[in-house]
Formats: sequence, C-alpha cells, structure tokens
Amino acid sequence: MSEHHHDHEHGHDHGHDHDGKPIQEDALPSLEAQILETSVRELLIEKGIVSAEDIRRAIEAMDSRGESLGAKIVVRAWTDPAFKEKLLTSSDDALREFGINMSPMELCVVENSDDVHNMVVCTLCSCYPRPILGIPPAWYKRRDYRARAVREPRAVLQEFGTVLPDNKQVRVHDSNADLRYLVLPQRPAGTEDWTTSQLEKLVTRDSMIGVSDVRRLDELVG
Amino acid sequence: MRGPQDYGGLDAGPVDPVTHEHVPTHWEKTVDALMMLIFDQRRQLARVDESRRMQESLGEDYHKYPYYERWLQAVSWLMLEKAVFTQEELDAKQAEVRARLEAARDGV
Amino acid sequence: MESRYKPGDKVRILQRNQPGHVRTPIYVRGKTGVIERIVGSFPNPETLAYGHSGLPYKMLYRVNFKQGELWPDYEGAPEDTLEIEIYEHWMAPA
Repeated sequence: MSEHHHDHEHGHDHGHDHDGKPIQEDALPSLEAQILETSVRELLIEKGIVSAEDIRRAIEAMDSRGESLGAKIVVRAWTDPAFKEKLLTSSDDALREFGINMSPMELCVVENSDDVHNMVVCTLCSCYPRPILGIPPAWYKRRDYRARAVREPRAVLQEFGTVLPDNKQVRVHDSNADLRYLVLPQRPAGTEDWTTSQLEKLVTRDSMIGVSDVRRLDELVG
Repeated sequence: MRGPQDYGGLDAGPVDPVTHEHVPTHWEKTVDALMMLIFDQRRQLARVDESRRMQESLGEDYHKYPYYERWLQAVSWLMLEKAVFTQEELDAKQAEVRARLEAARDGV
Repeated sequence: MESRYKPGDKVRILQRNQPGHVRTPIYVRGKTGVIERIVGSFPNPETLAYGHSGLPYKMLYRVNFKQGELWPDYEGAPEDTLEIEIYEHWMAPA
C-alpha cells in the first residue's frame, strides 16, 4: 500500500522562526492541500460558521491534553482506591473531577495486572481518548498498527520493546464504536514512598495505550 | 465487501514506532480544529460518522492521502453536501487562494 | 431499551455484506464470542453516517473473542483475547 505518502510526517524538529513560519519546509502539506485548507477555512470564516479565534482556542484545547493529563488520572487511581473504583465502574463521574467530558462517547478503563496486559487499537479509523490524551500518535493511525495489533499483538508489542511472558494474557481492545479506552498501567513496586509528582513522571502516553509499561524507575534518575 | 478503512488482520509491515512518531504540525492541528468545530455541540454541522463515510467513499484514494489531507477532503465534501458553501464558491475561492499562495511562494 | 443478550451469552457475529458505513469489521464477521458487558443504547452509526438521526437507537455490547477463534493460525498464548463493540443487530445467539 502507498503508505509512504506519510513520509513527510517524519520530521521531528518543529522549531519556528520569529515570524512563526515552520523552519522545516518539508513538514508542510502539498500546495494543493494548502490551497484547499485555506479556502475551506476562509469560506467558513466568511460565512460566520467559525472564527479565527474559535480555531485558535480549539488548537489550544488540544495542546492542553496529552500524557501529563492522563498521568494525573492514572496516579490518582494508583493512590486513591475509591477514585480507582469510580474510574473503573463509572468513569464519567471520575473524569468530572478533572474537568473532562467524554460526551457523546464513554470512557472504558482497562486495568493491567500481574496476569493481564491490555492494549488498544482502532482498526477502522483512529478512535482515541482525545479529551484526555489529545491527538493520537502517527503510528496509531497507520495501516501497520491497525492491521497487526489485532492479529499478532505480541509481535507488535515487541516492536515497542514490550516483551511479555507467555503466561500473561494479552487483551486487545478494538476501539471501533462508542467507547474510548484508557489502559490503567501497573504501579511499579518500590514506589510506595513516592510523591504524586514523582509518580506522574512514570506514566507515559504509550503505557496508557498499552503498547508499553510505564517508565522504569532508573529512567527517572536526575 | 471490505471498505478501504477496514485494516484489521491484513498483512502489513513493522509498526516502527520510532520512525512513525510525529509531533503534529500547526497546519495539521488547524485541519483537526476545523473538523472538531463542525462536529461540536454548538454547530453540529456534521457527525463523525458522516466524516468516516466520506473518507471510506474515497475507495483506493483512501490510502493515497496523508491522514490530515484525508480529513480535509472529508470536511470539504461535507460542507458542500450540506450546502454550507457551493462548488462555485469553493472554486472561486481556490483560484484566489492559489494565486495568493503562488505569489507568496515566488516572493512576489 | 431492552437488551436481548446478557453478559456470558454466546453470540455469533453475522456474516452480512451490508453496503454503506458500518462499524463491524470483516475480521469478526461469522465468528463466535461471549458478551462481556452491555454498553448501552446508542444512535445507529449506519444512519448517522448519512445525516439521519440515528433512530431507532441500537443496543451496543462488548464481545470477547478468543484470539484462536478469530485467527486459526494465532501464535500468541491460547488465553489471549480480543474485545470489540458490536451492535445488537449484528449478532445472533450461538
């Protein structure tokens, strides 16, 4: 398949000069796509459907979501059993405490344990708990992950460096309809005395998608 | 019939999460914002399922577009379908924008 | 809204070749699984996709499959499972 069209997505350096123009020109879409986007945006603004401010606020809102917000929820569940119970059984109420509204979707939290590892994919598009984690990673939207996560999850996990013993069950969740999924990773042993902010540093985006565990304790030194 | 979006279980290459990590560009976030705004509670101009239907209707072209260019196609087609703007308006706007962007590119 | 199935019930996903926008991927069609939970009633995405109201709502379930049922050549552990959301009109008792 011609997924190589995504090649322009690969840039990692997204610095901006003082004019706010992207320095890395190859991160821009084709001229045709720029023309269409500019045209649609300007027509929607001219017709009073959206304003430039609406667009800016929407981008600010998506920038405010991500790993650190998810980590706050996970650590609260690690440290507050009543909250964890609410998160697993009535997630709307639990999320309200963080000002998060999933509507019209619902959040389904799946908990990792010594015996079970959970992993999330959307084979049909790229459904993702956006009100918590923001925009999904590029690999989550690509054919490779969507095709193989359901059929050979252990091989895919290995590609993320996650090797699981055979006696640990892998539960794949295809996020195909009205639920959105958040994996509740295991709290590592040896963190009993840790503060909330120390614990939050352990929790990664990938650990909440279930393609990896949380950071190793020795990765946090310094 | 398998839609072009229905990838589950098909053969595919390595996930390669290092190469396929990507910080969304401002342009991509703008397209994302446009989609979210036409879906939102206040506007409700379209539903996410309508956007999916548009993208799935691209057939083989589904695979051709980068992710946010496919979203952009869907936004554009949905706004035409719902007569938020007409094809004539879009064509005229695109001609004007093309001239503007080409002039900017050529440093005129 | 009444739910026809309850957790633990065995169901077979229908092998339908329905045109248009659907949320039941090919890989679960014709496969047998177990109702994991009743999610609730939701607007029907198959009509929402065409600008309709999504009425009547459809009951949605999470269905649990053994990976070996989905993929006869599955290479992971025999206990590995997959869970997916399926609307009631896409299943039959098994």
